[in-house]
Amino acid sequence: MPLSTQSQGDDDQYILVASMDNGRNLSNILKAITFKDHAVFTATPNGLKVTVEDCKCLQANAFIQAEIFQEFTIREDLVAFQINLAVLLDCLNIFGGSPVAGVSTALRMCYRGYGYPLTLFLEEGGVVTVCKINTEEPEELIDFEFCSTNVTNKVILQSESLKEAFSELDMTSEVLQITMTPSQPYFRLSTFGNSGNAHYDYSKDSDMMELFRCTKTQTNRYKMSLLKPSTKALALSSKVSVRTDNRGFLSLQYLVRNDDGQICFVEYYCCPDEEVEEE
Amino acid sequence: MNCVIEGNCVKVFGKAIHALSRIGDDLWLDPMVKGLALRSVNSAQSAYACFLFSPLFFHHYRLESESEMVRETIRCKLLMKSILPLFRGLTSIERNVERCEISVSAPCDRVIFQFYCRHGITKTHNIRFQESEALQAVFASHLCPNVLKAPARLLGDMVLHFPVFQEEITLSMTSLSVSLRNYCEGGKGHMKVMHTEMSLHPEEFDSFQIGMDSDITFCLKELRGLLAFAESHCLPVSVHFGAAGQPVCFSVEDMLLEASVVLATLTDCESRAPSQPAEPPAPSSPRCADEASVHSGVCEGRSGLPGAFPDVTEVVMSSQGSPMASPADLRHLLEHNSPYRLLQEEPADASGTPASSTVCSLLFKALSSEPDDDDDDDARAVLACYSDDEAPDRPMSPSL
Repeated sequence: MPLSTQSQGDDDQYILVASMDNGRNLSNILKAITFKDHAVFTATPNGLKVTVEDCKCLQANAFIQAEIFQEFTIREDLVAFQINLAVLLDCLNIFGGSPVAGVSTALRMCYRGYGYPLTLFLEEGGVVTVCKINTEEPEELIDFEFCSTNVTNKVILQSESLKEAFSELDMTSEVLQITMTPSQPYFRLSTFGNSGNAHYDYSKDSDMMELFRCTKTQTNRYKMSLLKPSTKALALSSKVSVRTDNRGFLSLQYLVRNDDGQICFVEYYCCPDEEVEEE
Repeated sequence: MNCVIEGNCVKVFGKAIHALSRIGDDLWLDPMVKGLALRSVNSAQSAYACFLFSPLFFHHYRLESESEMVRETIRCKLLMKSILPLFRGLTSIERNVERCEISVSAPCDRVIFQFYCRHGITKTHNIRFQESEALQAVFASHLCPNVLKAPARLLGDMVLHFPVFQEEITLSMTSLSVSLRNYCEGGKGHMKVMHTEMSLHPEEFDSFQIGMDSDITFCLKELRGLLAFAESHCLPVSVHFGAAGQPVCFSVEDMLLEASVVLATLTDCESRAPSQPAEPPAPSSPRCADEASVHSGVCEGRSGLPGAFPDVTEVVMSSQGSPMASPADLRHLLEHNSPYRLLQEEPADASGTPASSTVCSLLFKALSSEPDDDDDDDARAVLACYSDDEAPDRPMSPSL
């Protein structure tokens, strides 16, 4: 394999080496969080986390565990850098964006450390491409301080039921309101657009509702523009968990199965727009 | 008003809305004793469509709401772009929606569409409406000389041959055949445009009645919605028309609903002239109650015009012979017309448009429940109003 012979001698120089036989397992999940150009890559022995933030109110994380990679070698406890995500995706798809049956792009990502570019070796059908993408000092990431102990309400839904709702959401509404109550309507998504209001209600007894844990009635509004990008992650996922904490902060966690059936996670954190009383 | 649509009927209702969305930007919802009418008209007022769902179509149909027993029913005007998205995904509606409940709540000026879906999911949409007078075009189709009834797919299959961008087509009928051809405005690159023409033998139709040879040219785009609806329901399409310049009505019906699209046709002297001579209008001929016309309400006492003009609350009055229509070009058009009479007006920018290619507009009168004062402009939402600049003492035909 051209990729492995090329890099054998250089491996010692890299503090991070990650390879995948099917690069699409990485590019697909990254597409789910590409709503901004820049992303922070954080690698630990557990795997890779890619983070994108918006307006200091929204944070999206994609987690690709070490087990997903055919090879994942890291020489430090933590490796972090910032990179242009759009450029990275273009390189990952350099052999063409659309999947062709039976053909996959093999990927090897190598990073020498602070100040060095991220080197990508991509191979498909015997053709090898080498890309070097400049890295930057990683920006400090927001810590939403979202912890399980503060979670007041949690539901887990099958994504199928939410996909339709999100695709139909009235985009003239500035906010998406999420209401969770121990009684009717249980879980409600609301929009307030130019032509009127819309409410999507999911009963706790719905067979789409895998888990419904609601301790108190909460209604929170989130900017539609911030949440709309999460639709991409929703589209890839099979399940989604929606949690709110006592401050009204929202956590959306998506379970994504890649082409090989392996599980990755995508997570969105969002600040509430304002506290509202139940209408 | 409160009604519930069950199962597959929700998809039918959605298809009706799709067909109506091809016509205009507004949707009139008119709950009546005989059923729920959905109507739309285009901005040029040259196309009108109405879908009337009988109470049998609904699982449950009630005009008054519980708290407002004595209240009159509300007629609503909604923006098509507010309603269409609710019914856009017909396949998903078919798969997921078990029941749709529509209610009109006057105090909060909202129409509530509630979709009860599978998996315990409920979608509620509260859409703002404007209270409005009803919109209705009256077209006495039983008086049209030419009547065709085509099997469900026939017309739909025929119009498939015309490109999507084809604006107008001409339907010609003689006792020997019915043909459809694309219409090109005369002289403009006549030789560069692809001409398509198809003929049908009378036997292809379920019913074929010819009173006069005629060629009518109308806009195809607005018709496609109804044809698609007819095809999906395997309903034959009836076509009622007369000479060029008279409106044409396409309609379908079954036990649960009736739908019709009324389109204005070009009064084009380039089309083959009717073989039957038209009677010249006598200026003071008495109004004949049985003469058909699209009900025109524009002249109803707006400017204190002579009462010779028909009382618009009467149905189907011909305004033939009214002193209202006097500009020379309109009189010229009138001479070619059969007894059907439309109130013609020039389009606002028609300074150079020859009368021969004027498109007649259908003028609609808003039917009011009680007769208002003629001078009470606001009470009636008369759709075709003449320009406010019109001098009140000029008894000319109004222009838009």
